[in-house]
Amino acid sequence: MWRQLRIYLAWIGLHFLLIITISCRDIVWLVAHKVTILPSSFRIGAERVEPIAAGALGNKLSASNPFRRALLTYLHIAGIDRGYGYFAPNVPAGYKLVFELHYPDGRVEYELPGVNSAAAGLRVATLLDEIGRTRSDPLREYIIKTLAASVGREHPGVKTVRAVFGSLNLPSPAEFERGKRESYDFLYAYDFSRAEGPAKAGNP
Amino acid sequence: MARWRERLRAFLFPPDADLWLGLLRIGLGLQVLLYTLSLRADWNYLFAGPGEGLIGRALPEALLSTDSPLIPRLGWIVTLAARTGLSESTALSIAWWVLLVAGGCLVAGIFSRASAILAWFVHLCAAESGGFISYGVDNFMTIGLFYLILSPLPDRYSLDQLWRKLPPKNPHLLGFFRRVLQVHLCLIYFFGGLAKCLGSGWWDGSNLWRALIQAPFNLIAPEILIRLKYLFPVGGIVICLLEISYPVFIWDRKTRGIWLAAICAMHVAIGLTMGMYLFAFVMIVLNVAAFGPEFSFRLERTPACSKNGLASTG
Repeated sequence: MWRQLRIYLAWIGLHFLLIITISCRDIVWLVAHKVTILPSSFRIGAERVEPIAAGALGNKLSASNPFRRALLTYLHIAGIDRGYGYFAPNVPAGYKLVFELHYPDGRVEYELPGVNSAAAGLRVATLLDEIGRTRSDPLREYIIKTLAASVGREHPGVKTVRAVFGSLNLPSPAEFERGKRESYDFLYAYDFSRAEGPAKAGNP
Repeated sequence: MARWRERLRAFLFPPDADLWLGLLRIGLGLQVLLYTLSLRADWNYLFAGPGEGLIGRALPEALLSTDSPLIPRLGWIVTLAARTGLSESTALSIAWWVLLVAGGCLVAGIFSRASAILAWFVHLCAAESGGFISYGVDNFMTIGLFYLILSPLPDRYSLDQLWRKLPPKNPHLLGFFRRVLQVHLCLIYFFGGLAKCLGSGWWDGSNLWRALIQAPFNLIAPEILIRLKYLFPVGGIVICLLEISYPVFIWDRKTRGIWLAAICAMHVAIGLTMGMYLFAFVMIVLNVAAFGPEFSFRLERTPACSKNGLASTG
């Protein structure tokens, strides 16, 4: 009986240690990247702690390391691979992706990445956040290209697709009362012709 | 030292009934049903392979492989189906139906553990293969289903129990898994609340305003919301305090009911005002299963300690 109890204790100890480490890592990351209200003096401490937390979670091990793989597998199957800072520390800016569909006869139509249900619509918003957040240009381009291809498939006659990606500017309550409404800042544009990659990419 | 050990043991393995497990099973079963039905029209479009669908599974699954090749993904199901001559589209449809049936079986309590494992596996495959399109609801469903498959199923409210007349489960094990869920929820709210407290926008209410007016969460017109602008700072601070103090006040029997009701009310509000119905529902299910049985119906009392302790695991 005591042996069985010890197994449960060991599991729960490790399980909660992992949850706490991941949550702390996320909090420390926020502080280190100066996105919190804490004074900048906290940043130095956070920058020191950040690699320790990352190291404890096996991030410094090679991708093929069996311990790292086993740990990441467990984190994913238990649903504890990420922290719980939803809408925190601040609600980020939203993003918008618009496709300009150019037809051979010169006609231009505008299309948004669309799905059939509201539940899937929330997932598209998550995808746009991912595009906006990533610092990897190839990843951003790949995702937008794939989305453009899905729009292109639904419009077989289209010649080229221009994808325009922008961030959302939301008015404060005071600005809203003064008549200001949401606006967009241009971030990236990509041109795709049918059956090929981006013809050119523009950055701000 | 021995006293501390005994206290820890008493805290982690309290004798408990299985009402909480029944609530968790039925709640997560409903959640799986709602999740599956809500994605019915988009399932194949969201999770299709390269050259089809919205963004395809190829990139998320490739990134997943760099983490570990052992993390479940829809590609496994598609590959398995391909060996039997089934197309990718058919394999994805089968996965959807399996998830739907598993959700229904969980609600009824038929083949409870097998249904829980199937629901956990197929949902996890979809969440991981979805990658960029997964959000909080997937995370919490995985957590809930993971604990459900480990817990001593079936509970006495399931059809399994009715038909098979199984011996009662070890109350200490029931208490242990409920404790795991309770502590996990405390960590979720504490760190969620802490992260919010570190943002200026929760103290001046601007985060509530921003969350409510941006697509796709803008169910209420900003012209209506602006009339409530004085409530946003209060609302923001209340959310921060409610979450960060959850691990303190949810344990005390005097404040447990208030905190549980307030947290559930917060999730209902998130669901109704932002359209995040699935997220709201899974959070309410987890909270009610973890801390609600004392308030629900008073169906039963906590059973006496098992003389056999953990050795009598059912």
